[in-house]
Amino acid sequence: MTNSINNLELVKELVSKTTTILKEENIDVQQLAFEVNTCDIHHVLSVLKSAGWKQLSYLSAVDWPDENKFEVVYILFNWDKPVYVQIRTKIDRENPSIDSILPIFPGAKYYEREAHEFFGIAFPGNPDYEKQLILEGWDDIPPLRKDFDPSAYSDRKFPSREYPQDYSVTDEKNHSLEKRAERKARAERLRTGGKKQ
Amino acid sequence: MTIVNFLIGVGIALFGFVLQTSIGGINRKIVGRMQKRHGPRWYQEFIDIFKLLSKRAVSHGWIFDFGVIMALGGIIGTAMFMPLTNQILAFSNNGVNYDNFFIFVYLLAVGMLGMAMSASGSGNPWASIGVMRALTTMLAYEVPFLIVVLTIINLTNQSSLTGIMEYQQMAGNNWFIIAMPLGGIVGFISLMGMLGKKPFETYIAPAEIASGPMVEYGGKQLGMLFILHEISVFIEVSLFVHLFLGGATNIFEFLIKYFAVYTFANLISNVNGRFKIDQVVTFFYKWPLLMAVTQAVIVIYFGWVI
Amino acid sequence: MLSTKFTPKNKMTKAEIDRKWWEVGDYFRRNSLWLLMYCTGCCAVELPPSMTSAYDMERLGMGPMATPRQADILLVSGYLSLKTLRRLIYTYEQMSEPKYVVALGSCPINGGIYHDSHAVINQLDQYIPVDVYVAGCMPNPESVLNGFVDLMEGIKQKTMNGWKRYHDHFEWYKENQKNSLGEVIVHDEFHQ
Repeated sequence: MTNSINNLELVKELVSKTTTILKEENIDVQQLAFEVNTCDIHHVLSVLKSAGWKQLSYLSAVDWPDENKFEVVYILFNWDKPVYVQIRTKIDRENPSIDSILPIFPGAKYYEREAHEFFGIAFPGNPDYEKQLILEGWDDIPPLRKDFDPSAYSDRKFPSREYPQDYSVTDEKNHSLEKRAERKARAERLRTGGKKQ
Repeated sequence: MTIVNFLIGVGIALFGFVLQTSIGGINRKIVGRMQKRHGPRWYQEFIDIFKLLSKRAVSHGWIFDFGVIMALGGIIGTAMFMPLTNQILAFSNNGVNYDNFFIFVYLLAVGMLGMAMSASGSGNPWASIGVMRALTTMLAYEVPFLIVVLTIINLTNQSSLTGIMEYQQMAGNNWFIIAMPLGGIVGFISLMGMLGKKPFETYIAPAEIASGPMVEYGGKQLGMLFILHEISVFIEVSLFVHLFLGGATNIFEFLIKYFAVYTFANLISNVNGRFKIDQVVTFFYKWPLLMAVTQAVIVIYFGWVI
Repeated sequence: MLSTKFTPKNKMTKAEIDRKWWEVGDYFRRNSLWLLMYCTGCCAVELPPSMTSAYDMERLGMGPMATPRQADILLVSGYLSLKTLRRLIYTYEQMSEPKYVVALGSCPINGGIYHDSHAVINQLDQYIPVDVYVAGCMPNPESVLNGFVDLMEGIKQKTMNGWKRYHDHFEWYKENQKNSLGEVIVHDEFHQ
């Protein structure tokens, strides 16, 4: 087996031959990231798949609200040459849409459904990307977008407990002897299996 | 055949229930001590059963309810025929004892069929899988067990349980577990299968198919199933005691033998994992069947009985 | 010689007889509590030590059960997301009565560390009645067992009647469930 440095160079060579690389990042000795044009995604993925990167480990997205972009990330893994390859591409944040990679990786079906659910990205080509997967009956903007406020949603949707008094252990009452004796009696009960002495 | 016979029969079934429930509780304690635990109280099983009977339950249609009652009735009916010792026996007439081995084989099926019917009536897929597995397991252990029992019947020329007991107790004869060692081992392995103890627990399998046939039962029906289970364990262990361990001449001997057999089966159960259903069938059709056939050939053609 | 004099006894009314039987049943129920473990949260990790030889739950007559129909206690261990809450309500309604709910950890009490999550509910007793809360993140096995002993005492004192509350305030619970969950019916594409 060749060592991982050689593997990294191999991947770099492979990807640069296939397409124009917008940005390249050496994350790790076993991880590489390339940013490519959106139209080249399918080509790069199929080339990598035929070169041995045949496991799609993950497909997700990152929200960049400042740039008004979504970054879709495909993570591939090769079982012979231990290198993770991330292929990234940026798509528009308004009406985000990218063609499905279902013909290349059939397992991407559920990842795409998840990405649609949490970011609202459309995947034309995947027949049921709009079906709900994890969030059932979601009624707000997709929750992993940066402009979604989970705290406000939680406050609006789920009633929180209101405490009539402060229960934090700061006053002397909670350390009083009675309470300690009560705790001891309870511990004794527990030790004897709930039986009366 | 008077009303007294029936009362004695019901008494034997009740005795079997109380005996097996207590011994089951004691065994839970023993297992607890084996695992360095305190273990539950010895009467915990009684509490469990009475609690279940005190709970409310849902019904899934009349087949579901009727099947449980039919199964319980069938099992109690079977237990009524079980002799405890040579003398304690419900149905006998002028020296003829009505405790033929085949009565148990036939009547046990009523209980099993009632349970299968009721479980299928619940409509839960786990229950169907459990029933199917239970019947498959039954098919697996019955064959070697019946070969050994038929060998015993051939040897003693009778199929009455008390007759077989008396044959073993006669001077010069050994218990069949000693006289036919291979057959005794097969009988014990089949007993483990009948009891649903650990290597052959496939049709209960709580972690796998959510306790199989019992999956939809709760409250009263489950309580009745527990009573049914205790009584059927009583029948099966007593059969083993009578067929292989020389029966009993008095009730204390019976209690000791019963306790020893059940505890031994339980101890083996607690250090074993669980077979898959195909492994159960392959296992029973391989070694126990081979041993049973060998034993039958040895006994019937060569006449070698220790 | 037996006295022939007839002494009329105080006849108990039917309600009193029922109460007596219920008390007898309570003895059995509190000494044989079977758990249905709903192990979705991290508090489930405290259950193995409380069940095995260290703390030995079985000496109190408790044990795990396979299905909701057979169980007495619904043990909610840890946080509940919306998706699990839907299944939890479904499971709770399947259990045979009398049934009790024990909630472990701080998440079912007030949301715990997930108090601001979009997927995790904050307060379990808005949706199903909870009999015993065991606080802590996570509660240690002593507290878990303490909670169960409290439950037993409560059954004895007849204070653990959450399942009756669920009957009495059914509309209120259903309304809360609908407000948070949208709809309670489980739609599952893999089991239809």
